[in-house]
Amino acid sequence: MSRARNRIAGLISVFGELLITAGLVLGLFVVYSLWWTNVLADRAADKEGAQVRGEWADEGPGALDTKGGLGFLHVPAFGGDEILVKRGTEPSVLNNGVAGYYTEPVRSALPQDEEGNFTLAAHRDGHGAKFHDIHKLKNGDPIVFESKDTWYVYKVYKTLPETTKYNVDVLQPVPGESGKDKPGRYITLTTCTPMYTSDYRYIVWGELARTEKVDADRTPPVELR
Amino acid sequence: MYGWIWRHLPGNALVRALISVALVLGIVYVLFQYVFPWAEPLLPFNDVTVDGQ
Repeated sequence: MSRARNRIAGLISVFGELLITAGLVLGLFVVYSLWWTNVLADRAADKEGAQVRGEWADEGPGALDTKGGLGFLHVPAFGGDEILVKRGTEPSVLNNGVAGYYTEPVRSALPQDEEGNFTLAAHRDGHGAKFHDIHKLKNGDPIVFESKDTWYVYKVYKTLPETTKYNVDVLQPVPGESGKDKPGRYITLTTCTPMYTSDYRYIVWGELARTEKVDADRTPPVELR
Repeated sequence: MYGWIWRHLPGNALVRALISVALVLGIVYVLFQYVFPWAEPLLPFNDVTVDGQ
């Protein structure tokens, strides 16, 4: 082979190696997104959740406090895990494997408020993927929020499997798009859809069915047993 | 490229293999710790809020 041909062969092989490298890096990014961020987020959420439970245990039953976290969301349709709920929906909050309640563009009500919409967001994939199974929620399914002293039992009454990220009206205190026109105590879950992308948003609405006082053993309401 | 790196690593085949593994692990660490966390918010895979932005 001539020198020139050798040179060309060398360049082509470097180019091929670069392509293989790019493929490996992209593959690693998938591993990072779908596995490693979950490991980090679950670790952070477990730690923070334990801290909240620790504070609750130290102080005994009493008023609700929102310092470390507001409380825990229990959704039987998602499996047995509890989801810590914190303030805000910025990536710095949600990336720690929690659900965040909206502060903007529409301010969320809190569960203990007389009326309003308790609006939450969490990741569908990666970073704990706390709302991964949102499509499994059907009308009538319970969503239970556990605060320091009260169980709030919500029932799903409407799902919106696809909407745009511009549809901030789903967060309104009276979510008209769900068919409600009177003030009440609502809960709204938002996450991205379809899975592994965020082209659209998936919305689930629920309405408060009843509340239960937390007893000394923190006996869960019947929906969680 | 990889052939060139291999030829320029010191030591015998075993030492070179060990250095290669260390290099690969180092690169994976840098990717996971710095590059991917930087790149992720720039990609449209993980926006979960309705915010109109």
